[in-house]
Amino acid sequence: MTTQAPTNGSGRSPTVPALQTFVKETGGWVASQLEACTRCGICAEACHFYQATGNPEYAPVWKIELLRRAYEQRFTIGGRLRLAAGLAKPISDADLAHWSTLVYEACTMCNKCAIACPMGIQIGPLIHEVRSAMSEAGVVPPELMAAVNKQMAEGSPLGMTDSVWDSRLEWVADEWEEEIPRDVQGADTLVVFSSIEVMKFPGNVAAIAKIMNAAGEKWTVSSEAREIVNFGFYEGNEHRTVEILKRVFDGAVALGVKRIVVTECGHAYDALRWTAANLMDVPVGIEVTHIAGVLGDFVRQGRIKLKAGAFDNDGVITFHDACKIQRRGGHINEPREILKILAPNAFKEMSPNREQAICCCGGGVIAIKEADPQRYAVFQMKVDQARKVGAQTVTMTCSNCRLQFTDGVAHFGLDLKVTGLAQMVADALVE
Amino acid sequence: MNWTSFLEFTRGPLFYAALLIFIAGMVYRLVRVIALGWARDRVKSRGSKLGGAVRSLLKGFLIWPFIPWVKNTFSRSPLIYVAGGLFHLGLFVVIFLGAAHMLVWKSLLGFGWPTLPLPIVDWLAVVAIAAMIVLFINRLVHPVLKLISGPAEWLNLVFVFLPMISGYILTHHLFFRYETAYSLHMLAVDWLLIWIPLSRISHFMFYFFAKAIHGAQFGKRAVAP
Repeated sequence: MTTQAPTNGSGRSPTVPALQTFVKETGGWVASQLEACTRCGICAEACHFYQATGNPEYAPVWKIELLRRAYEQRFTIGGRLRLAAGLAKPISDADLAHWSTLVYEACTMCNKCAIACPMGIQIGPLIHEVRSAMSEAGVVPPELMAAVNKQMAEGSPLGMTDSVWDSRLEWVADEWEEEIPRDVQGADTLVVFSSIEVMKFPGNVAAIAKIMNAAGEKWTVSSEAREIVNFGFYEGNEHRTVEILKRVFDGAVALGVKRIVVTECGHAYDALRWTAANLMDVPVGIEVTHIAGVLGDFVRQGRIKLKAGAFDNDGVITFHDACKIQRRGGHINEPREILKILAPNAFKEMSPNREQAICCCGGGVIAIKEADPQRYAVFQMKVDQARKVGAQTVTMTCSNCRLQFTDGVAHFGLDLKVTGLAQMVADALVE
Repeated sequence: MNWTSFLEFTRGPLFYAALLIFIAGMVYRLVRVIALGWARDRVKSRGSKLGGAVRSLLKGFLIWPFIPWVKNTFSRSPLIYVAGGLFHLGLFVVIFLGAAHMLVWKSLLGFGWPTLPLPIVDWLAVVAIAAMIVLFINRLVHPVLKLISGPAEWLNLVFVFLPMISGYILTHHLFFRYETAYSLHMLAVDWLLIWIPLSRISHFMFYFFAKAIHGAQFGKRAVAP
């Protein structure tokens, strides 16, 4: 870790005011949850990072320690007294650098801890507050910061510039012989892909195009709103989050669409669907939804027909719940309904599953090299779960998870097929 | 001052003073947190936030280890789970369903309620005391708990332990004269009442906030809280 503790000349750490600002801005919502914590430690055993490594510092409660300290020392009488008496530790620059590694390299915001917490504290979102303070203080891992800056400058952290976007989409349309409507004024649906799909899983782009066309959806992609990934949100920087969100909303407004379909990116869906309206004025009358939900709707409404049992003869298939699409996104049932059609006999659930599932550890951490040891350690747990049900194929609705699975399977040399649900649906379409 | 008059003091003026400090302190804590302000959630829900909050609060009572959604958490932290659960169960039964304590409530509130037979209450008190000792030792040895425990956490355990152990001694007429044991029990209770607003023992009040927030967050996304 090369992160340097910041100094702003005054010798006073900028994070103390930063953390205080976040408590103040988020108010009772944050304070009441911090007050409810009894420090029982149950959240540790819910965290895949702790489970995989046994490092006590990976306990979720410890990751929000700075937020708690800032809150108590600024907003509670006891905390102020203790600080004045020298009994409480003020937050130092060394603390900032240290906690920066904890909140960025050992958390995927999967919020499993919130489910285990006897108080139900939303520890994930609270860790996001700590990241916000880190971002404010300028203590973000350099590799992540570089990717954020790249997205701000070029529009995409993966370097999907105008020309790359053009040639890539043309190639996908050619290669898979699928029509991809571009910048269609007055279309109903704007599909915004993540650069991970466009650059690394182009088959997924083709699959979604095929499904949209088969359903007779009036859809389009936008060359303005072409990147759904939001590294500003991942970093925890409100200003940059909003700027990236604005690009998507502006593109949608310019085309006059009725809804935005987020494809496979967890942070992006969280930002656009569940956070945007609280950070900015979002355009009225534009619905935001996820491709997993759209697939489910298409099947339920009979707009696409799937070949029943199409994947029943390729060995056991299991479904990986993406933390931000399923547990934090709500699209838990749709993939299962679809899999019960595609592979009624071959589909087997891992345990735990649904909202209790453990995260694969893609979730942003994959962008930071320093986090590799813990990332692979966590992935090993996921693989063990898949092995337990004898899975030969694992499918999912998040391309970031898919990146993690593809990378992990190669890293460990595993015999496990990794695919996406949209691709399975596209392959099983009955014309 | 002899023990009899000291007892009069600890169960009289001191108790009422402590009770007042407790109530005023808790009201202050509550108002302080609420006054920090609550931003309106402008995100469109997929499910019901209210429904989620209600479910979440109800689920708070359904914490038995065999319930599917509890199993996973339970099996990973069985000791904290069982000891923590039994401690709270014992504490609530003793405070609300013990005959002697019900009479205190009656004198404060003006009405009483049926209580449990002493042997049952007594056994649960023993269970709660044993659970506290287990939790204390666990906090001493568990790497995560060692890391996250400061002086406040240790003091909380001690200050809750004292009324419980002194209450047990009082009920069983052990070691001390009745007035002495009673005085010590009241002194421990009085101090605990003053201590609660200054500490995290006040979590019982914010529990309802956190549980409701949890339910709303999950309900909003149409996910079971």
